Amino acid sequence: MLAYLQNIAVLFCINAILALTLNFIMGYAGIFSLAHAIFFGVGAYTAAYLALHVTDSLLICIAASAALSAVLSMVLALPALRVRGEYFVAASLGLQVIGVTIFSEWKSVTGGLGGMIGIPPPKLFGYTFGSQASYLTLAFVILLAVLGITALLVRGSFGRSLMAIRDSESAAQAYGKHVNAVKTLSVAVSAGLAGVAGTLYAFYMSFVNVEGFMLDMSILLMAMVIIGGTGTLFGPIVGAALLMALPAALTYLPFIPQSELGTIQQIIYGLAMVLLMMFRPGGLVGGRSKEKSA
Amino acid sequence: MKKLLAALVLAQASIAAPALAADYNIGAAFPLSGPNAEYGQVFSSGVNLAVEHINADKKLKNKLNVVYEDSQALPTQGVIAANKLINVTKTPYVLSAFTGVSKAIAPLGQRNKVVMVNGGGVGPDLASLGEYFWNTIPLANFEVRTMAPFLVKEKGYKRIALVYVDDPLGQAIVKELGTELKAAGGELVGSFSIPTTAQQFSGIAARVRDTKPDAVYIASYGNQQVQLIKQLRDNGVSQPLASYSAFAIPSVLALPESKGAYYTSQLVNWDKNDPLTKRMLEDYKKKYNKEPNMYVLNYYNAVLTFAELAAALEKAGKPVTGENLLAQRKATKNFEFVGATVSFADDGTVKSPIQVNQIEDGGKSKIVSAAK
Amino acid sequence: MLFVQLMVNGLQTGALYALIAAGFSLIFGMTRIFHAAHGATFTIAGFVFYECFSVLQWSWPLAVVVSAIAAGIFGVLLDRWVYAVIQRHEGSFFTVFVASFGAAIVVQNVISIVFGRGMVTVTTPLSKSIEVIPGLFVAPMAGVAILCAVVCFAILQYLLTRTNLGIALRALGENPNLVEVYGLTPRKLSQYVFLIGSVLVVPAAILTATTSGLNPSMGNHIMLISIAATIVGGVGSLRGAAMAGLLLGMAENLCLAFIDPQWSEAVTFVILFLFILFRPGGFYGRAIVS
Repeated sequence: MLAYLQNIAVLFCINAILALTLNFIMGYAGIFSLAHAIFFGVGAYTAAYLALHVTDSLLICIAASAALSAVLSMVLALPALRVRGEYFVAASLGLQVIGVTIFSEWKSVTGGLGGMIGIPPPKLFGYTFGSQASYLTLAFVILLAVLGITALLVRGSFGRSLMAIRDSESAAQAYGKHVNAVKTLSVAVSAGLAGVAGTLYAFYMSFVNVEGFMLDMSILLMAMVIIGGTGTLFGPIVGAALLMALPAALTYLPFIPQSELGTIQQIIYGLAMVLLMMFRPGGLVGGRSKEKSA
Repeated sequence: MKKLLAALVLAQASIAAPALAADYNIGAAFPLSGPNAEYGQVFSSGVNLAVEHINADKKLKNKLNVVYEDSQALPTQGVIAANKLINVTKTPYVLSAFTGVSKAIAPLGQRNKVVMVNGGGVGPDLASLGEYFWNTIPLANFEVRTMAPFLVKEKGYKRIALVYVDDPLGQAIVKELGTELKAAGGELVGSFSIPTTAQQFSGIAARVRDTKPDAVYIASYGNQQVQLIKQLRDNGVSQPLASYSAFAIPSVLALPESKGAYYTSQLVNWDKNDPLTKRMLEDYKKKYNKEPNMYVLNYYNAVLTFAELAAALEKAGKPVTGENLLAQRKATKNFEFVGATVSFADDGTVKSPIQVNQIEDGGKSKIVSAAK
Repeated sequence: MLFVQLMVNGLQTGALYALIAAGFSLIFGMTRIFHAAHGATFTIAGFVFYECFSVLQWSWPLAVVVSAIAAGIFGVLLDRWVYAVIQRHEGSFFTVFVASFGAAIVVQNVISIVFGRGMVTVTTPLSKSIEVIPGLFVAPMAGVAILCAVVCFAILQYLLTRTNLGIALRALGENPNLVEVYGLTPRKLSQYVFLIGSVLVVPAAILTATTSGLNPSMGNHIMLISIAATIVGGVGSLRGAAMAGLLLGMAENLCLAFIDPQWSEAVTFVILFLFILFRPGGFYGRAIVS
């Protein structure tokens, strides 16, 4: 029983990190990305590749995955952000599609559709994270670290610049804020930390394949952020917990046939998104106002 | 504080203790929801029928139960499902489905010494997932070794074009088909890979036509096959089609454009008059109003395997754990499966004779080449 | 000959994409609403046609009309009941997009429950191709698709340039506030926009149902094409979106002569990226740098 709960807890930590990082650009910067699962995937594949072929040192893998995801995101952000919001949505959707194709086809690096198996557990200063309990501790510590980084950035001047840009770009520019640099940097931070979540995932599952990084995952992450509440620190965590608990909760409703659980689940969060946007755009934690309260 | 701890420990113990201590529980991590839920239903029908028969025959001292968990055919969900089965239900034997899920949960089985059995996926990568991962369905590369000489030597189709999904299964088939065709005196004149989500095949059809093949081999699965067959025919590919056992699903068999297509499958002698085969066939038809397909068969056999091994362990007075099941399997030479007798190789795969079938009208197939 | 065949296939696909993209571009250009549920409209139209024609066995004109009504109603109701409410209190791009997306998810899953998750096709003899010249196979359906597209665009052109409603709609696209001064209500006009934009996908949906089949999650691919075509064609330009749709359809097919099919979807996005990089205004539009 304990092992089962630990399993759920680790996956919750990973999802919470992803939701937090997505909220960083969606809620605070007003940048809409549909490619978050790809940055997650890039981090996971990087860690897997390094662990299988080079080294299983935790620090190196985290650093490499964060760096790669961040660089990739900047490639996307630089051209798209200088135009309009919708362009970034389109570009991120494009990245999501191309990313899945590359994950499936670049067989020498990603293992193609078969994925990579047998990833060894990570090592930090000689200690191997072999047991479930030690891994949970690691995941939780990283979650706290990401939460801390996000809080620091948001409450500092960087965060204020972000929110100024979100609320009115032209005004922010008039005040001397380097709009493009700030936006690109925020996307890089968000993607880099998503890459770290990917490292956690790869080491935990010992197996990565493209099925964990598809459009459905990006949509699920978006739902977590929106339902929990954009522009709040704890909203995404609430969202992650809720959406993870939803499938299990639904099994207790006797009138729903087993085979339709997945669709009912999606209908619920689709409806939640529509209704929340109509009446409570701040999400569950945020409330009526969509304006941040950091 | 102490009281709280005590209460928690008590609560955990009572949840963890299996409700029916004397029963045998086997687990199944199937897609119960999501886009592949229909497969989950098909697999479960085979499993449930086997459990029914085993309990009716009183093959085991205790009652046999199966506990289902939803994998949604996705690796992460599969891991959650397998974790629940191993750590909460505490089962020594788990049925798995879908290659991605199997690969993700195999390490859990290895670590916890729990047997995991696949009855659906046929990719060669399923053979290398460790000692505790078994397959009751022969893997696809064997099927190609029967189809290639059949096409070239018996039918005279020398030039074969291949359309395949670019995953380990497809890649294995490209390799096997290339070598086997050459060995038989034929040639692989073109191989075209398609993504798993593709639905539009007019371009592929044009390229296939361009290679002027005598026959076309398809390596895909599920609903995509239906679209592929229909659109190949719609777009001027009139050559005979061939494939492996994935063709044996109702939607493909019933499609008018599939008529005449050849496919290999493991030897199942439905006319074998032994009581095991007969009863399975009759009961399935009675319950579900249709003939059982390969997937039903393989999961039925997977449950049979457990029953046989557990019965042997009971006789020897050993507890039914994953470790003992593995040892017992290694010590057992043959297994009486429905329709055939098979043996497990050391890597946990089954060797089974392969037959070639041809699709006829009304969704039926006839055997055109007996198994070798 | 392979090349010619692929070009003909491309024309057929391109014609359908042009229709779909035009619908989305119309809505986006005139109401500035990022109607992410446009793919859902397409799916609804396709499945309703399938239900009426293949399952209930009604005549095809009747099925087409019912399908068009269903698509139109969906678009208009979404606008009235959801977008209007959001625009009343806030109406930021983000909120509308998310609501639209949520609606698309709901539609996709409801259709999954009703029709199952597999692919369904509408069988008609028109989809079987004939060897027109050796090596070139064309199905009558291709001709129907291209004809449909031409007719629809002609009607749309007439509507937008010669009728009062059309002129009002174009005015709405340029300056919604000024439109009010003239006594028209932007809200009411936007409903017309949604009606027309939604009905525009119906021919494409029906034709796709007969050739490559329908499945509940096809809305995603439709959205991809709509967004890409709108940007490549230039935001606000209907002609641009249509041309871009045609270009994307052709590219998707022609590239098969050189590369594997898994990359054909990527080709669409490579084109999109190139335009974002070098010509964000697209063919005809003006890029508004924010």
